[in-house]
Amino acid sequence: MMRLLQLRGSLRVRLLAGTLFWITASILATGWGLGTLFHQHVAAQFQSELTSQLDQLTAQLAIDGQGKPGLAQALSDPRLTRPYSGYYWQIDTLEDQNKAAATATGQLRSRSLWDQALSVPADTPADGVMHQHRVLGPQARMVLLVERSVRLAEAPNGQVRTFRLMAAANEDFMLEPVARFNGMMWLALGVLATGMILAAVMQVLVGLAPLRSLRAALAKVRNAETPQLEGEFPLEIRPLIDDFNKVLTQNAEVVARARTHAGNLAHALKTPLSVLANAARKTQDTPAATTGLARLVLDQVGLARQQVDYHLARAQVAASSRLPGARTAVQPVLDGLLRAMSRIHAERQLVLTTGDIETPLTFRGETQDLQEMLGNLLDNACKWARHRVQVGALRHAETLQITIDDDGPGLAAQQRDAVLGRGVRADEQVPGSGLGLAIVDDLARLYGGQITLTDSPLGGLRAVLVLPAVALRAAE
Amino acid sequence: MRILIVEDEPTLSAQLAEAVRAAGYVVDLADNGVDAHFMGDTEPYDAVLLDLGLPKMDGISVLRKWRVAGRKMPVLILTARDGWHEKVAGIDAGADDYLSKPFHMEELLARLRALIRRAGGHASAELVCGPLTLDTRNSRASVAGQALSLTSHEYRILAYLMHHCNEVVSRSVLVEHIYAQDFDRDSNTVEVFIARLRKKLPAGMIETVRGLGYRLSTP
Repeated sequence: MMRLLQLRGSLRVRLLAGTLFWITASILATGWGLGTLFHQHVAAQFQSELTSQLDQLTAQLAIDGQGKPGLAQALSDPRLTRPYSGYYWQIDTLEDQNKAAATATGQLRSRSLWDQALSVPADTPADGVMHQHRVLGPQARMVLLVERSVRLAEAPNGQVRTFRLMAAANEDFMLEPVARFNGMMWLALGVLATGMILAAVMQVLVGLAPLRSLRAALAKVRNAETPQLEGEFPLEIRPLIDDFNKVLTQNAEVVARARTHAGNLAHALKTPLSVLANAARKTQDTPAATTGLARLVLDQVGLARQQVDYHLARAQVAASSRLPGARTAVQPVLDGLLRAMSRIHAERQLVLTTGDIETPLTFRGETQDLQEMLGNLLDNACKWARHRVQVGALRHAETLQITIDDDGPGLAAQQRDAVLGRGVRADEQVPGSGLGLAIVDDLARLYGGQITLTDSPLGGLRAVLVLPAVALRAAE
Repeated sequence: MRILIVEDEPTLSAQLAEAVRAAGYVVDLADNGVDAHFMGDTEPYDAVLLDLGLPKMDGISVLRKWRVAGRKMPVLILTARDGWHEKVAGIDAGADDYLSKPFHMEELLARLRALIRRAGGHASAELVCGPLTLDTRNSRASVAGQALSLTSHEYRILAYLMHHCNEVVSRSVLVEHIYAQDFDRDSNTVEVFIARLRKKLPAGMIETVRGLGYRLSTP
């Protein structure tokens, strides 16, 4: 049922079904028309042959001296003398009005009839009128028969006698060529129909080919191989492609604008927050009256900062993970972050090493989001590490896996979920509860990836970040 | 030690200046990118606190211009934009550290100290030169464990000499690093401070290198 519904929705099936219907209908109509025409033509010819024989028969009919009917001269057609040849004639004497002569059936007949006579239904055609019958002839074959009545004035006594003259032939002689013609005709029409259907199929396939390449182009955009629909398309769908590309461009612009606005908002909010916090911290050492207020301001500023960070990060991701076509090479991002880490944590004199890093390795998503995730993870590792932080990146089919190890104190299993902020709403989190990792967790999930925290072989914490990768073929 | 603070928000700028001065540094202020670039390009600062969102020229461009021109003073970026892509961009433009707003003033000062120390090639927070020890974390100097009582100008001169232990430091360089830009500089006062320091330090530690300047050396 589903399959049928799917077929109904297919443009190809629609086009083909219409074409097939018309080809079949017109071929059938042509066949029927030609067959009928030929049949009529053959039947007319057959009848005219029979009629000409009947005419000859009529012309040769004579009555001899004893009043017996006979043929003045034998009919010329040799088929009439060969037994059961299929061509026959017969002359019956009809009962005349004076009953001088009795009815005689098959009194005179062609040699071909041999010892049989044609039995015809009683019929007396008016003068000069021909009747046609279809009767059972010799050898159980159906024969077509034409007959007419002839009245002759008998020579000796001037009596008028009526004869019934018949010429007949096997129906097969007419039907056989018709059947042969029909066979040939249907064969020819069949070949024609097949050719037309093939042509129609080709036309549909060729005509719809741009749709297939459109689908391929769309898949490329989805797989982040190209930012826009690319390729040559026919005039009819070109406007569609252009419009779609405009939508893609607009989409990207909207995301970029949203990012800029988010950054501006952060800047606008955080500078006053800094001023407020600094002022509050200064008054902490002064008399008790202001200390309560100072503490309140400090707490609230801390909270506000966390909220701004958290919601900005989320807003940025919500926008970008829906943007198709984004792809980011992992290696440069890692290199940049490691450079930054070695500066920011220069005081700690850590050894930052890269383990196995597969290249090319490409993340299916925005550069800034990858930087955000890896930056937070690396920063966290650098904060806790004693001497070493190690990064590795590998591909597993459609995903990439980035592993960050440190040799710090590690994290107890029951604390890991809490650090990732799982099961805790952002606005319920207490200040300083590792919001960075919660944002990483959120980001990874929005991309359909995940982050897991385990024990590191270096002795500290290992963070494993799994994210969607661009397939190898596309990355090259 | 002379610090350039580049921040366009006046209140925050004032707070920063106050805290940095209280930590024993000399402070110059700039509130836009063009001024900041000019000052950093012409004055020998020991460190710069640089906000990124600035009028006239953004902080990253200012920083890049300094680095292209060969200015190597440590720069601590101070910004509200704390995405990692911005941190990486800042570091790659030549920043030495990055602090996002809102920040704790103590952390800012700790990072600033660390930057200046590292720029002088010192790994530890405590600078040692012979019997002389300078703890940059609390601005205290001591001789063989005996704390020295110094005025702020004396401390600045000693700190600069300690950062350049066993190097000759000219009088004009000392002047540039202990006075703010708008201060009426009189190099004679340096001689006064040096004379006072000599009295408080073990004899012979501050040499006068004729025609060149002063050298703090291990006896």
